[in-house]
Parts: sequence; structure tokens; C-alpha cells
Amino acid sequence: MDKLLEILNEIDDSIDYEAEQALIDDQILDSFGVITLVSEIEEAYDIELEAACIVPENFNSTQAMWAMIQKKIEEK
Amino acid sequence: MAYHTTLFLFVFLPLALICYHFAPQKWRGYVLIGFSYLFFWMNSKELLAYLIGTTLLTHHIGIWLDGLTIKEANAEAEEKKQIKKQRKRVLLLGIVILLGVLISMKYQNFIGLNASRVAEHFSIRYSFDPVAIVLPLGISFYTLQAIGYMVDVYWKKIEADYSLEKTALFLSFFPQIMEGPICRYSDTADTLYKKSPLKLENLQHGSLRIVWGLFKKIVIADRLAVVVKTVFDSYADYHGIIIVVAALAYTIQLYMEFSGAIDMVIGTGVMFGVKLPENFRQPFFAENASGFWRRWHITLGVWFKEYIFYPVSVSKIVKKWNRYGRKNVGKYWTKIVTSAVALFPVWLCNGIWHGPRWSYIFYGMYYFTLIMIGILLEPIRKKVLQTLHINPKQLWYRALQFVKLMVIVITGELFFRADSLRIGVRMFRSIFQDFQPSILFDGNLLNLGIDNLDFMVILVGCMIVLLVDLMKEKKVALTEKLEHWRLPIRWSVYYGLILAVIIFGAYGEGYQVIDLIYAGF
Repeated sequence: MDKLLEILNEIDDSIDYEAEQALIDDQILDSFGVITLVSEIEEAYDIELEAACIVPENFNSTQAMWAMIQKKIEEK
Repeated sequence: MAYHTTLFLFVFLPLALICYHFAPQKWRGYVLIGFSYLFFWMNSKELLAYLIGTTLLTHHIGIWLDGLTIKEANAEAEEKKQIKKQRKRVLLLGIVILLGVLISMKYQNFIGLNASRVAEHFSIRYSFDPVAIVLPLGISFYTLQAIGYMVDVYWKKIEADYSLEKTALFLSFFPQIMEGPICRYSDTADTLYKKSPLKLENLQHGSLRIVWGLFKKIVIADRLAVVVKTVFDSYADYHGIIIVVAALAYTIQLYMEFSGAIDMVIGTGVMFGVKLPENFRQPFFAENASGFWRRWHITLGVWFKEYIFYPVSVSKIVKKWNRYGRKNVGKYWTKIVTSAVALFPVWLCNGIWHGPRWSYIFYGMYYFTLIMIGILLEPIRKKVLQTLHINPKQLWYRALQFVKLMVIVITGELFFRADSLRIGVRMFRSIFQDFQPSILFDGNLLNLGIDNLDFMVILVGCMIVLLVDLMKEKKVALTEKLEHWRLPIRWSVYYGLILAVIIFGAYGEGYQVIDLIYAGF
């Protein structure tokens, strides 16, 4: 989880990621932020995220991202 | 028959509401499909066959994909791979057929004529005779919805719908078939299939939204249409600031018309208890071109983002580049190249989607270039703001952003409205010939087809819309607020709006009936 927060803060450190629950729905994180995040997560956790994974439910909060990462690691 | 016509508002819609209301609940879906097909038939006659064909194909592909998903879940590893490939082929089959129909109908002449020009250039014997083609109503809208549905089933975001009635209603629902919004199955399916009984509250809210849309369309947009037509039809007679006035008039006309039509669409949906997605969110309050497109024709932007931008961004080749780029050229250039690769098809498709014209392709490329410049300069912009201690939320900075955005949007709309790219370039150049702002005040504007009263009505109308947009931007729930006002005030607003449409509507002598612009796309 710390690694994920580190990645997120590198993209934009002005956001309180632990508190935000609607990063996509409230457009706090834009589509460029999302694609940067996807490639950083893939490299950091050695997983593959397809276009189907890019839905607001998976990126609205750090908890949701973490759950998606865990699921992808299990599926490997 | 469009949404702003008396036939729709006073005959078709009331009849649809009455039949829907008195039908047993299980038949309500069929009533809506019946009226949707009737609406389609009244506009496109036997071309209804295309919509029915698309519905049957989309429905069948969805079920096929779903069947393969179930098979995949129970298969061994090796068989899984085969099924995955089969699923991809099934999806491709659906997309190729739907896009094939769209391309052959909408772009056949454009492709043929350009191919013949290229052939001529290389002295190859090939000639193309344009074919007279009438497009089925809303083909550009329902094709995207159908593709979105199939891809979502393929991606397992949603389960396929086994009810043909539901698929048919999702693709044909008459309030949105003509101008969108382009709905995602996951967004609209629930309310669309609820078949909830008519409610007085919904009828009130829906009618208010329809009248608001009519106000924007008939009072403001149709008046501005006269100015726009006068200048754009005889572009060679005008230059300097008059071209700017015409481009500004078209920008406002398009916003009032399209957002007004969407108000009517959403209002009609509300009457049936159906919640359709919003297509506009005060676009002129955006900070830049990219933000503008997140607020203008939202559902088209979302479609391109989900089905083109993200898939390209996470494609194997882009991922490879990301890994290579980060190690070898740094994060900044990696992001620039990735953004360019993912945004290029988005903006190319955005341009082409509007129609088979080079000026539309130019329009898409214009925004692609501007957005890429924005991404390229973003670190410099941040540095300048930091060094000079500028708060981007300060009023003067926001005002500068607004002026810059208006210049960008108005220039874009000039090319978008011009009859061809060549004419667009000529009109743009002529802005800089004999540019005299004094013309604005010497009565020349009154030679553009409308009089002083029309200008006053447009001005007051725009101020009212601006006020409402400002309140929406401040997240004021206007409809709910209105409900809590005292009865006389509330009804004064309702009647005021209706009377404004009746008294100041641009119809009758001296005005032409203006078709909905986006219905032509």
C-alpha cells in the first residue's frame, strides 16, 4: 500500500489520497493521470492491467486500487 | 419530426405518454419501442430496417459473447486460450459489421471521391460517381451505443441482456435516438426498463426542462442562425470583425441549440421516469481546451475515452514504449509520446464522426494539436506559476484563461461551420483584412438579417442562460430550489418561461424553421 501511495503522490502530491473516495467521479484524477498510474502500477507490481480494468470503481480510491492490484496478483 | 416541433410536442409526446400510462406495466416497454419505431419511421421511413438489423445483431453478439464467457469459466487452461480468441473474433465481427454499415453509408462518397482524386494525381484510371444516400436517423449515435454495449459484454463489465425487448429499447428510445446522449448500457438500462408509472412530479420536472430547452433553441439559437447564415452563405462579402461576430454567433448558436435539444431529450426521458446522462456541464467555464471537451458533448467524449483512448493507452505496443521510454528518455517524453499516440485516433475519430468532410477532420486535428501543446507546456506553466507566486484561482488569471478558451473555441467553430476547409481558411484569413471594431457600433450589424429587438432578445436570453449556468457551476440545485419557492413565484417562473418562448420565439414571418444541427451528424 505504501508503494501505491508513493506512486500516487508522484503523479500529484496535492491530493489527500487516503481520504478521497471519488478520485475519478469527481475528476480529481484525469485520464492522463490514470494512464500514468496504470503503467506505474504494472511496473511496480509486475501485473497487467487491461482496458477493461479502467473503470471508476477500480480507481476512485486507494482502497479500490489496492483491491484491484491484489486481485490481479492472485490471478497471475 | 424533431423534438422542438409542434407535431412532437403537442401530438406525438402526449399520445406516447397517454398510451404508456394506460398500458399494463408489462406492455409499457413495447409501447415505448412502438413509439420509438414510429418516430424513426416518420423521419427515415423504410430505413428503420437498419435500426432493427443493428438491434438483432447487437443482441445476438451479446448473447454469443456471454455464452463463450460461461464456457471459458468452466474450461481447462488450453481451451480457455482458444475461447478467448473466439470471443475476440465474435466481438470483431460485430464491430466490423456495424462500422461497415456506418462507413458505407456515411463515408462512401467521401472515400470514393478522395480516392479518385489520388488516382488522378498518380494518373491511374479510376473514377467515382457519388451515390445519393439518405442516412438512417441517428445512425452515428446508435452505432456507438451498440458497439459500446458489445465491448462492455466482451470486457465482462456487464452481462448480456437476453431480452430482445430490452436491447431494442436501449438502441431505439425515441427521446435520444436523434441527438444522443450516447448512453452506456450500465448507465441507462435500470431506469429504461423500470417501466415505472407516470408521476406528476416527473411530468412537471420534465416539462420544465423541455421548455428551458425550447427557450435556448427557439429564442436564442434560431435568432442567431439568421446572422450565421447571412455571413457564412456569402462569406466572400464579409471580412474583419464581422467574421469574428459570425463565428461567435455560431459558437453561441451551437451551444444553445445542442444543449437546448439535450434539455428537451432529458426532459422527455424524465417524463417517462428515465434518467438519461447529461451531455453538457457549463463548457465555457473550463480552464482549457481539454477541460472544455470534458464538459461539451460529454457522452461522445466518454465513449472515445473508454473505447479508444484507454484501449490504445494500455495496448501492448504503448506499454512496451512506456517501459522503454521511462528507462531511456525519461518520464516527460514518455508521457508526451503516449499521450500523442492515444489522443491522435481519438481526435481523428471525433472529427470524422461529425461527417465526411475535411473541415471536420481539420477540426479534430486542431483540438489534438492544441491539447498536445497544452501537455507539452504544462511543466513550464507550473514552473512559471510557482516562480511568480500566481494562484491560478485568482480572478484575473481565470479571466485570461476564459479569453484564451473563447479564442480557441470560436476559431474551431469557424472551421467547423464553414462549408469546406478551403472556405474556412479563407474566412479565417479575411479576419485580418481591414479589421475595424468600430463597425460594431455604426449600425453595420443590423445588416446581418436581424434587428435591434432581436439583438436585445439574444443578449437578455444569453444573460439568463449565463446566470443559470453560473448557479449550476456553484452546484445550486435549481429545480429543487424552485420547488421550495412560494407558489405564485414558482408559477410566475413557469409561465414566464412559456410566454418567453411563445412571444420571443424565432418563428413565423421573417424566420426559417431551423433543423436540429446535431441530428445531421
